[in-house]
Amino acid sequence: MNLDPNSSLVTGKGISLGEAFGMGGETVVIGLSIVFGVLLILMIVLYLFGVIFNKKPKTATTPAQETVPEPEVQAEVVEEDEEELIAVLTAAIAASLNTSTYNLQIKSYRRVPTKRPAWNNAGLRETIGNRF
Amino acid sequence: MLESFGSFLSNTGVAALFQTGAGDAIKTIIMLAVACVLLYLAIVKKYEPLLLLPIAFGMLLTNLPMISESNAIMMHTEWFTDSKYMINEHGHMNIDVGMIVRNGGLLDLLYLGVKLGIYPPLIFVGIGCMTDFGPLIANPKSILLGAAAQFGVFFTFIGALVLSASIPALGWGVKEAASIGIIGGADGPTAIYVTKSLAPALLPAIAVAAYSYMALIPIIQPPFMKLLTTKKARGVVMEQLRPVSKTEKIIFPIVVTLVVAFIIPDAVSLVGCLMLGNLLKESGVCDRLAKTAQNELMNIVTIFLGTTVGATATASSFLTPSTLGIVCLGLVAFIFSTCGGLILGDIMYVLTKGKVNPLIGSAGVSAVPMAARVSQTVGQKENPSNFLLMHAMGPNVAGVIGSAVAAGVFLSMFNGL
Repeated sequence: MNLDPNSSLVTGKGISLGEAFGMGGETVVIGLSIVFGVLLILMIVLYLFGVIFNKKPKTATTPAQETVPEPEVQAEVVEEDEEELIAVLTAAIAASLNTSTYNLQIKSYRRVPTKRPAWNNAGLRETIGNRF
Repeated sequence: MLESFGSFLSNTGVAALFQTGAGDAIKTIIMLAVACVLLYLAIVKKYEPLLLLPIAFGMLLTNLPMISESNAIMMHTEWFTDSKYMINEHGHMNIDVGMIVRNGGLLDLLYLGVKLGIYPPLIFVGIGCMTDFGPLIANPKSILLGAAAQFGVFFTFIGALVLSASIPALGWGVKEAASIGIIGGADGPTAIYVTKSLAPALLPAIAVAAYSYMALIPIIQPPFMKLLTTKKARGVVMEQLRPVSKTEKIIFPIVVTLVVAFIIPDAVSLVGCLMLGNLLKESGVCDRLAKTAQNELMNIVTIFLGTTVGATATASSFLTPSTLGIVCLGLVAFIFSTCGGLILGDIMYVLTKGKVNPLIGSAGVSAVPMAARVSQTVGQKENPSNFLLMHAMGPNVAGVIGSAVAAGVFLSMFNGL
């Protein structure tokens, strides 16, 4: 685009509305198409990345899935040992209430069904809150 | 003895305040008050304090009353904007670096780093070190959201030209309009980089507007995010991102630099430095350099950049109708950038049959990581077990590349006119 350095559009003196919309429209079309063009090319490159580099990780994820049942088994073991569980719960409550375990007595407990454990959620939220 | 006491009195700030009349004295006092308000916003309200505080204090320093021609003057803004003090090089008026170095105050010398385009790229090296492009590499289509969120930049360019045509007193041409538009990129260093080249007189107003609105993103964005998305779309849980290998993360910055350089060389000083910083981190062999770039180097440059940009805000450059216009158009720019990203997000939601949550679109404005956090917060209100943050980081870091490219477009079109 060849603008005269002394034209009203450059000096900012006496621009007409027609000029403003004409120049503005032209810049929007050129500018947005360059921005989209560059990022579109990068997107294609990134898709190629996925094709080239992402073959191995797929096989690598399968062992990770196999390990999933293990924690569940552990959780059941803990549940069977009720005294230990109650001790842990009492200690946790005492810590969060800032009091001694002598002041607490657990009468009943119930597992809250969630997709993600509540501690994970809380931890995740705290990490996000701290880091960002 | 009385005589020397008298000459001391005539050199005080109080005497200097009134040397050019009461009108200028009032303007100086207004500017000092503005600086104090900004300090309040930075310290009490915590609006981007790391930048707003140096900017506000620079503003305070530059507006202190000084006897003219005094050696105590720290910043001579006229040397950088008034052609009377410049030298003519091949038909172009350039700042007289030799004269500035010989006679300048501390802030004059430090401001050379802004004027010669040194600080913003150095800050980008640090930002590159802190940026993880992993979410973007894992979900390539999110890069387009970073492009859509530049809509506000170009829309505001038209807005500024139209406003200038309606109110001739503003005197904005294409260069000023481009500098105002780039506020919509929500990227402070980029806005400063473009403005120092195209419209140095507007630098303080644009920097203050850009950083203030970035701090206000959690207030500006949510209403439009709710307006432009349906309740159902906001609740979409996106599928987990694939793991990204180290090789990809190392190749990415190199490829981006090459692609950007081949298409728009004017964007290379920003994008290239961003990618240099990123490669320092991802390569894993330059840990020491990466640590310096993202901590010490970036902090030092931030102090220099903030203070000197603030110091350009003299009464004559800041207390003008332009500043008011910039503050209004800056908000317009932010809103339209947010909407641009959201609308493309909506389109992706429809095209992928509900796999993309449109809320990540608003994160395409490059304020990292505030915009991504806003997507996360708004998404979680709809569906408490939804974690959009990593998905929103993709468009967010793409927005940094997008606004740097937009800056390159403006520079290639209007720099040198």
